[in-house]
Amino acid sequence: MQARRAGRVATAGVVLALVLVLSITFAITIGPSNVTPVEVWGSVLHHLGVGDGQLSLLRDGIVWQLRLPRVLTAAAVGAGLAISGAVMQALTRNPLADPYLLGLSSGASLGAVAVLLLGIAVLLPVAAFLGAMLALGLTLLLASSLGRITPSRTVLAGIAVSALASAVTSLVIFWTVTGDSYREILGWLLGSLSGARWPEVAIAFAAIVIAGLPIMLSGRILDAFAFGDTSAAALGINVNSTRWILLAATALLTGAMVSVSGSIGFVGLILPHAVRLLVGPRHRALLPLSAIVGAIFLIWADTAARSVFEPRELPVGIVTAIIGAPIFAILLTRRRSEV
Amino acid sequence: MPRLSRIIVLAAAVAVALSGCATISAVSTPSPSTSTAAAEKFDNCGTRVDFSDAAPKRVITIKSTSTEMLLALGLGDRIVGTAFQDGPVPATWKTEAAKLSVLSVQVPSQEVVLNSEPDLIYAGWESNFSADGAGTRSDLQGLGIATYVSPAACREVGYQPARLGFSDIFREIGQVASIFHVSDTKLLAQQKSDLAAIPRDKRGLTALWFSSGSSTPYVGAGIGAPQLVMDTVGLKNIASGVKETWTSFNWETVVNDNPDVIVLVDATWNTAAKKMAVLESNPATANLDAVKNHRYLIVPFAASEAGVRTVSAASDLATQLARLDLK
Repeated sequence: MQARRAGRVATAGVVLALVLVLSITFAITIGPSNVTPVEVWGSVLHHLGVGDGQLSLLRDGIVWQLRLPRVLTAAAVGAGLAISGAVMQALTRNPLADPYLLGLSSGASLGAVAVLLLGIAVLLPVAAFLGAMLALGLTLLLASSLGRITPSRTVLAGIAVSALASAVTSLVIFWTVTGDSYREILGWLLGSLSGARWPEVAIAFAAIVIAGLPIMLSGRILDAFAFGDTSAAALGINVNSTRWILLAATALLTGAMVSVSGSIGFVGLILPHAVRLLVGPRHRALLPLSAIVGAIFLIWADTAARSVFEPRELPVGIVTAIIGAPIFAILLTRRRSEV
Repeated sequence: MPRLSRIIVLAAAVAVALSGCATISAVSTPSPSTSTAAAEKFDNCGTRVDFSDAAPKRVITIKSTSTEMLLALGLGDRIVGTAFQDGPVPATWKTEAAKLSVLSVQVPSQEVVLNSEPDLIYAGWESNFSADGAGTRSDLQGLGIATYVSPAACREVGYQPARLGFSDIFREIGQVASIFHVSDTKLLAQQKSDLAAIPRDKRGLTALWFSSGSSTPYVGAGIGAPQLVMDTVGLKNIASGVKETWTSFNWETVVNDNPDVIVLVDATWNTAAKKMAVLESNPATANLDAVKNHRYLIVPFAASEAGVRTVSAASDLATQLARLDLK
């Protein structure tokens, strides 16, 4: 049984990693302009030092400055959100948890809006991270003031903090927006990868390396948490400090992702559930596989967002919600007994 | 409570009537126009309006297009307040515009509107008439306040112009003139002769009308004022395939089509200079011919929407375009 599961996880891992590489390879050949797949790959290989690119400066820019950074950002954001979702679900023992629970998204949005609209001179990802941390801090402070920190108290406190941060964000927008400048912020609030260039790729991948990898390596600890604080403590885990460290790492991850893409919903909520169906609930397998599936999912959701209605573009948050909500409903009915 | 509100409405109505009486002597009585009663009764974006009894005397204008239309018709003295203006008026109307009181920098609330006791609210956008804006058209009608939306901005099927033409703008001029029982002859003659004088560029140049946005560009599309202006000056709009007035677009198509010139909309909150910086900082658009050679045309935001300034906007762009030297 154990061996069969391990074999299944390994197979799934190899297959999914392959699908991820193929997804990146093919997603960059899709778009409104008429660059052929061969030209696209030629351009990428040329930038990687292989062969000489035959594309003009502009068409090369379409591939190397627009499509590739966007696809890579989608992959990193999708992976980051899926990891954050899986961790949040474990830490709060709540199957409905997602990266944006506990006010993380609203706090990050507030930080970002403060930079974008109030002109506060902080880097956008830093502001989003500080906003996410501030919201998380407030949530935990409120939850602890209710007594022992339980998952349900934390979630309820998060709802209150989330509502406050959203209201302040709306207030900032209401007071500062003039003419049609709300458009600048609208796409970002709905979740969009259209602004993704190489700096965004760097931010998203740095967050995966700094916060995502350590989280993925703490699967064993998260498995202990899944059985409750008491059993985690019995296994020799310092429950409080571990929870804090994991929550802070999740806040960093979420803050970085929100800063490059706005709040993209459903990726962190549904994908861990889907992967659990495939490989079971153990986090050592769940976390890396969720990351890969999240990356694949967001690459294709964003490819749809930028090509289905061309030459117009849809904020990708709309696509993930339209695909995500029905999948979530199906998962709910299949896992009826657990919810 | 219903009784109280009725009293307030009654009091407001009395106040409107009284103030109307008070101002009537100050306003020069408009000469009875030749227009028939039918011209003063019509369907405006799906709402029946009737101005056959009397011309409005206390008007609130929302957005620049409505304010400028009244100034162009010499009706500035009817404006009791302006709101949500898009930018400064052209020099010709500067003195007149300086006298107008500003009710709200953005869309005014219902109470702000009612407080000015208008008999007409003239809006540049249909959406200005909403419960969280100046009030719905039917609510305002119930309070005895007439409403009028610039017909070029109607959004409903059957009301939105299939492809905006100068005939739509001239029809609005005629409609507004008949609402106020004044003559449109002089203004229309001026507009038509100015329009006829605009030279059409023969070089077959393509253009992007860059209105706002940085990660997603918001551009002038195929059926609105930007398309009309570009047609007039002889530019081919790369976004003309989208059957909208304006649309969110994508940079990949812009880079692929590599437009010869870029029209930049200049707004106080999003200047043309800021848009140039956006184009230059994005490595993909920095290599566009128009960006590398600084082939920009600039149009003020307030002139970019359909109205009495569309002809002069086109004339201005034609002048800028003629100056561009493309090798």
